[in-house]
Amino acid sequence: MAAEHMLDVEVLTPEGEVFNGEVRQLSTRTEVGEIGILANHAPVLGALLPTTLRLHVSDSETKRYAQSHGWLQVFDNTARVLVEEAVAPEDLDAGALKEQLSDAERRLSESEAGTAEWSRAVKDKQRAETFLRIAQG
Amino acid sequence: MASQKEVKSRIASIKNINKITRAMEMVAAARLRRSEQRIADLRPYSEGMRKLTRIASAHAGGLPRVPVLAERENVQRVGIVLVTADRGLAGAFNSNIIREGMRSADRVRGEGADPIFSVVGRKGVSAMTFRKQELSGEYVGFTDRPSFADARQIGEELVARYVDEQVDRVELIYNRFVSPLTQHVWRQTLLPLQQAEVVGEGAAAEEESEETQSGDGQSRSEWFFEPEAEELLARLIPEYVTISVYRALLESAASELGARMTAMRNAAENAEKINDKLTLEMNRARQAEITQQILEVVSGAEALS
Repeated sequence: MAAEHMLDVEVLTPEGEVFNGEVRQLSTRTEVGEIGILANHAPVLGALLPTTLRLHVSDSETKRYAQSHGWLQVFDNTARVLVEEAVAPEDLDAGALKEQLSDAERRLSESEAGTAEWSRAVKDKQRAETFLRIAQG
Repeated sequence: MASQKEVKSRIASIKNINKITRAMEMVAAARLRRSEQRIADLRPYSEGMRKLTRIASAHAGGLPRVPVLAERENVQRVGIVLVTADRGLAGAFNSNIIREGMRSADRVRGEGADPIFSVVGRKGVSAMTFRKQELSGEYVGFTDRPSFADARQIGEELVARYVDEQVDRVELIYNRFVSPLTQHVWRQTLLPLQQAEVVGEGAAAEEESEETQSGDGQSRSEWFFEPEAEELLARLIPEYVTISVYRALLESAASELGARMTAMRNAAENAEKINDKLTLEMNRARQAEITQQILEVVSGAEALS
């Protein structure tokens, strides 16, 4: 159990654990909107959208990650963030992201609105746009 | 009997082969450990997903009717996904998959449906092209180190094809990793998604997480869902397809390395055996030559006396 005013946070991706420790505050974005989680928050289950995941480790230190689509579970003063990717901003490759963005835009224009192929392209575009913005600071 | 020189050069080349196969065995063994680690790394994530799903489905009163869970009555086209490797030299690793794929295709035709192949791995692509099979998807270049992004591409393409009714069922055929020495060819129905895949097997339900239990114990209003539980589940469930594909790719990668390790060890042992045989042969040839020379000297001396 974390110290008072601290929240246990686990950031997990399919390729391994990215962060595990105590933070003062976690902020991210769900489908409903921006969300900030402090210690002893009520239980939450949310679908996350691509954004900057901020972990306020202390007053002076904030860890930032580019976060893709995923899920958030807050229970018993523990926040578990399950995302496909959580990458430090300096590890992003702007060139590759630009390519992914134009590829997603091409697929979006080629597919019929409402099909599964279309919603896939929408999702990819959302991710590439957000990551590119984070990469460019 | 071959001359000494011939046997010598054969020994040299066998020794080279022995060195190469030993090196390949060791490389495969080292990468296998990393590969097994990656299977272990996935577990916390997939367990976390299961917990989320259980909580959401407990609040939504069961799993919603989403397209990927819906079984089709009239199956006309069946997608068959074969997971092979980019490289060979791994024993029967690739050919086992191809054989099972062809067998499955026959079974599908027997049901009156058309098989539609997708193939992961260069070896599978070239084997299927050689058999003049049309491929609806080719995924190559990552089989020894698959990333989740690779799995997502495959998983989402399959889901899209299933939801858009281009296929009515999808089967996944891959080498399941049992141990470094053993792999089993495994066939799994990927779509429609099996309920057990989502909520876990019966055994998993018994050790229900404390979160789910106390989640049920607490009044329902205490959980905040963003978005609502039903909608959350509708997004969550298709993710299992990608996770299943990812696990299959990881298991196949570990199996490939295990199979290569075994194949290369056998090859190296075989090279040693041949080396022993050839050394014996060379010694015999040398001895025969010496005997011959002595005989010549002796008979020459006798002729003089």
